[in-house]
Amino acid sequence: MAADSSRIAIPAFGTKGKLWLGLLATFMVAGLAAWGYQLTTGLVATGMRNVFSWGLYIMMFVLFVGLSAGGLIISSAPKFFHSHRYEGFARLGVLVSLACITVAGLLILPDIGRPERLYQFFTSPDFRSPMVWDFGIVILYGVLNLWYLWLLTRRDLAARGSRLALGIADTDAGRDRDRTLMFWTAALALPTAVALHSVTGWIFATQIGRGDWFSPLVAPVFIAKALVSGLGLLLVVSVLADRLTNYEVDREELTSLGKILGVFLALHVVYLLAAERLPHAWANHFEFWAITGSFLIGESVYFWLWTVVGGAVPLVMLMIPSLRKRVSVIFTASLLAVFGTMFEGIRLVFTGYEVANIDLPPGISVGGEYAGITTDIWATAGAYTPTLVEVAVTLGIVAFGALIVTLGLKYVPIQQVDGQYVTDGGTQERQ
Amino acid sequence: MTNYGLVIDQERCIGCQACAVSCKQENNVPMGQFWNRVLTEGGDKIDTPSGGYPEDGGSGSLDMQYQPTACQHCENAPCVKVCPVNATYTRDDGIVEIDYDKCIGCRYCMAACPYNARVFNWDEPEQMPEEGTGDVAARPQGVVEKCTFCSHRVDEGLDPACVVNCPADARIFGDLDDEGSTVSKYINEYETDQLLEDRGTDPKTHYISGEMSPGRPQTSDKMESELDDVSPWSDGTEDVPSDADGSDSSDSGGSHHSIEGDADPHVPAVGSGGDD
Repeated sequence: MAADSSRIAIPAFGTKGKLWLGLLATFMVAGLAAWGYQLTTGLVATGMRNVFSWGLYIMMFVLFVGLSAGGLIISSAPKFFHSHRYEGFARLGVLVSLACITVAGLLILPDIGRPERLYQFFTSPDFRSPMVWDFGIVILYGVLNLWYLWLLTRRDLAARGSRLALGIADTDAGRDRDRTLMFWTAALALPTAVALHSVTGWIFATQIGRGDWFSPLVAPVFIAKALVSGLGLLLVVSVLADRLTNYEVDREELTSLGKILGVFLALHVVYLLAAERLPHAWANHFEFWAITGSFLIGESVYFWLWTVVGGAVPLVMLMIPSLRKRVSVIFTASLLAVFGTMFEGIRLVFTGYEVANIDLPPGISVGGEYAGITTDIWATAGAYTPTLVEVAVTLGIVAFGALIVTLGLKYVPIQQVDGQYVTDGGTQERQ
Repeated sequence: MTNYGLVIDQERCIGCQACAVSCKQENNVPMGQFWNRVLTEGGDKIDTPSGGYPEDGGSGSLDMQYQPTACQHCENAPCVKVCPVNATYTRDDGIVEIDYDKCIGCRYCMAACPYNARVFNWDEPEQMPEEGTGDVAARPQGVVEKCTFCSHRVDEGLDPACVVNCPADARIFGDLDDEGSTVSKYINEYETDQLLEDRGTDPKTHYISGEMSPGRPQTSDKMESELDDVSPWSDGTEDVPSDADGSDSSDSGGSHHSIEGDADPHVPAVGSGGDD
């Protein structure tokens, strides 16, 4: 097999590449330092308190679990149906998924009060807890992504003599066997992805004590949101990789995926959101316009950032055929979709904690920072602003995810150059 | 089976905060945190009524009540079900408790609890005085803690600290599975509510409102079931709870029995805390 059946996106880091790595390293060191500080002082270093007891870490966990969906689904769904569609995105997609699920998993660590006891998940699990299932499935999903990325690229790695092939040889028989393995991996990856997003949704949807969380729609909404944000991120990363590295994006496939993103957006931000809001609006109001107003008008700035900036605007951009042919439009729309989805998670956590079920005075003791008798320790409602420590830790972890993608582009042949060995003997022309 | 529960008579409660303070002392609850809070049902602030004065054309609808609120020790406790590592569990006697050596501090239980009964040690817990005032397990930074119905006292046959320290006898602790216990009788006899009943958590804390009960029938530190002779409530059947005179005689009776059983009922046994 020839080594030119695939292409490395970043053959060597230039000045810009080194600057980028330096930037990521800076964020990661700052994040580690912030986490170290938080470990010694306790979670008092965060903006979380007794009423509002989950914050930025969980909001970003929800976002990154969703983001991890797109790549794996875009690369495994066509494989499962023996199609060659979106082949150009397959490897990059799995790489992005791997990075995102790693970020999501790592974001749990700083949220935990005593991370050194995490082994309890293995020694003393309670299988009634959705968190146990989520913990398991995040790990499974991460391992699956890693395996799938290696499976997709190992013959090409071998052809290049890379050590990452782990001793696998590049043979025709091997490529054939891998194609079968890819099919079965895809068959496993799709239900695992569905389970991942559903179980993460059920962490919230099972809770009777936190307002809107307790809704059977949360799991389907999490699936839809994962499709939107995951595909959005994949498109953003692929356009960036196209501009900044040797990776080349297939314009036709990009436009086609842009159209699909529009469909996902319509399903998520228009249909599912309406389905969720209408019954409440109808039941709580009497006049036609009161019902309509309550249905259409959201309660917080997060709602608008999500539905308009991250929903309606990109949807319109992708709906107009002349617009969605432009890469810049697809890029912007995808970026907005990811941005909006971030606020959906933020809004979800806020709706759970903003209002206390029992808000009688003096309220709930918030804990932390007791500074003598004049300290006001009571709150009747939840309030939250992330601290610099939380932001630094989060950015550090996200930088680690970006590092995974960057190193993947450097060491893994992320692009297939000819379609001869794509799947089951496909001979599709590429570039 | 024993299944401990608590009845709080809101008609008797005078809002003195003695239960909240004695809980804090008994359990070394850190500064800035409360396991047991006395909430005001009425105005916007603590100890303020809703409505208006009857003078100068006011509505005369002043109204205020107190709702002491701590862990409700639910039968269908969401906190127990969400705990990923079995750190929060229901004891055989129905008390919902936390294993502070297991708790990983994920705070899922705080998200699950509709009553906001749980607090988290955001930093190193601080007591005044430093060594604390109670004799209970220490809780480190980074774990969740909450009311245990004073399980360390219950294990020694003593009522929870908030119960014995209530000057209005508004708190009654006992076995919900024992039909003869005062808690079971009051729940049958009086109009009682559970907080947020619609959530289906089935709390083991019941609130009396409307008609005032005779209150906690014994003055000892001990639980009703630990008294030599069960309080006179158990043999006088239906007429007793609503009979105010009966309550007086029973109080003295209960006290008498307990003194026989214990040289000084107001000094708890060693290890039960320094609330006196």
